[in-house]
Amino acid sequence: MAKKKRNRWWITVAPLYVFTIFFVALPLLYLLVLSFMTRAQTWGVVNEFTLDNYLRIGKPVYLNTFRESFQLAVLTTISTLLIGYPFGYFMARLSKKAKGRMMLLVVIPFWTSALMRMYGWIIIFRSKGILDKVLMGLGITASPLKLLYSYPAVLVGMVYSLLPFMILSVYSSTDKMDWSLVEAARDLGATKWRAFLTVTLKMTLPGILSGIVLVFIPSMGLFFIADILGGGKVMLVGNLIQNQLQSGRDWPFAAALSVVLMIFTSIMIWIYRRAAGVRELEGLL
Amino acid sequence: MKKSRQLAALLMAAAVTAASLQGCAKSGGNGSADTQATSAQADQTKESASDNAPADQAEAKADDKGKEDGDPGELNIYTWAEYVPQDIINRFEEETGIRVNYTNFEANEEMLAKLETSGGGEYDIIIASDYIIKIAADEGLVKEIDKDKVPNYANIDPIFQNFFYDPENTLTVPYGPGIPLIVYDPSVVTAEITGYDSLWDSSLQDSLALMDSERVVMGMTLKTMGKSFNTEDLDVIRAAGDKLMELAPNVRVLSQNQTQDFLLSGEVSAAFLFTSQVVLALSQNPDLQVVYPKEGLGFGVDAAFIPSQAPNSDNAHAFLNFILDGEVGAQVSQQTYYLCPNKASYAFLPEEFQKSLIISTDDVPNGEFIQNVSPEATQLHEELWTEFKAALD
Repeated sequence: MAKKKRNRWWITVAPLYVFTIFFVALPLLYLLVLSFMTRAQTWGVVNEFTLDNYLRIGKPVYLNTFRESFQLAVLTTISTLLIGYPFGYFMARLSKKAKGRMMLLVVIPFWTSALMRMYGWIIIFRSKGILDKVLMGLGITASPLKLLYSYPAVLVGMVYSLLPFMILSVYSSTDKMDWSLVEAARDLGATKWRAFLTVTLKMTLPGILSGIVLVFIPSMGLFFIADILGGGKVMLVGNLIQNQLQSGRDWPFAAALSVVLMIFTSIMIWIYRRAAGVRELEGLL
Repeated sequence: MKKSRQLAALLMAAAVTAASLQGCAKSGGNGSADTQATSAQADQTKESASDNAPADQAEAKADDKGKEDGDPGELNIYTWAEYVPQDIINRFEEETGIRVNYTNFEANEEMLAKLETSGGGEYDIIIASDYIIKIAADEGLVKEIDKDKVPNYANIDPIFQNFFYDPENTLTVPYGPGIPLIVYDPSVVTAEITGYDSLWDSSLQDSLALMDSERVVMGMTLKTMGKSFNTEDLDVIRAAGDKLMELAPNVRVLSQNQTQDFLLSGEVSAAFLFTSQVVLALSQNPDLQVVYPKEGLGFGVDAAFIPSQAPNSDNAHAFLNFILDGEVGAQVSQQTYYLCPNKASYAFLPEEFQKSLIISTDDVPNGEFIQNVSPEATQLHEELWTEFKAALD
């Protein structure tokens, strides 16, 4: 009986394998092969091996795009950490009932389309918009500001969209922390601040790290925020790939850019795993 | 403690799922944002749809009686969202009994990729831009129109024929021709605007809306230097790139869709707009000034064609004949706000559109199409555009 059961186990995992092979492995392989091909004269690709696509990424103009994306991702991550850590920390210290309510409030924005929420920011930021009216009403500014379609507007949009990931990671690691350790530190004479730095911060480090990964990696690729709040003026790697696929009609170059972006994010995950000492990717949770 | 951990894990999982859903919403949403058909058009479409409905239904009932013998089948239309007004589709369905399936794409290139994958099948009518039709025709994906089945083909204004993508007039029916123009608000602009070159004026700092399209903006720059949109001379393109960099301080926003809103809300004081956007902007603020750039006009045509392996070719011909009808054509142009390519429609256009949607014969010969250029030139355009964008933020 037991033997039979074991023999049929593969049936339960087979769909997963089939799914992964067809929808993850094969497309990735196609992407990789495509990145070594040559673009055709006007449309499509030719089966001609070339390394040009990768060499072109080395041009200063494209390296600059990667640098700008990286810079925005770093700024986004730091900002979400500065706002999200205290938020998640204090949320975990709330009463059980209040925690539930807070959790609901953090998750609610996910129920609306991300695009809708970005248009909300446009209404706030646009000239003679809500923010302008408030600032002018309070006499802080005299004339309408040009807040929208700028780098800071994009940064606000990114931080806003990704903040819940940081809050939830910090919250989960603070929530499961053993508070008796902090009490012990305090009993042994540590100041509140010192106890926080030596005990709490260390114990919540996995939460911080997983928050960083969950914020940093998507922020490398979120191009629609740059499009909407940046007014098409901020070019990130995501936008560049889209451009090459459409108006540039250079699929191999777009594929090469995607491959480089994937290698880059994989390195980030690898660093995270080394830093957090996590072997399995589930450690992200 | 274990419980709270599980809860946290569950929530994170939910959050991650939500994030991936967000991804879906993004690409879907972007789709509608990227199309040329604006939501303003959609509103317009809905209004007129309800206006016409009762009369159409009565007409359709009368028609249906004669056609009970066989199933007239389907028609698969593939174009930008809302580009064919809903009331036009309804009326076609009612008059012919053919069921219309409307699929939309967000970019010409996406359309061609799908058409190529299906080997020229799957769709019956595609409406797309001139330069992409040229590629599709060269790849053998476009079917010749049987003019016996389209008696209204004669209604096409010859001004809109004999273009590079269809020199023999055998493959396409012009649907939405347009000339991009400069529109500005004279109450805030102090500089005299006569052409593309005026946009470089330092008084326009941070107050310009341009199209988010490298070929259009680079083309504009090339024109100020007296060159063609389609030059393949890399040195000339590079020089245009240098000149474009000087425009960076004036650019407030780059946008393809509803760009007229930036002008109407006062976010920008001058904009380079598609025909449909020019008409919409003027209808909401008649005080805006329109400039026909002195350096030369750009010109573009969105045209309808039948793919080589269209499954319902007869229905596709019936549809082309239907939209080429004088009265129907006038309805289409009034709702898409593109120029009217149908000379039989001119009489049906209300007076306020007579001026804006009918082109004067002198303008077209001056208009230049943006056509496909060599891979080297395309690559250089892309590179300069990326550089330009980096200078913007």
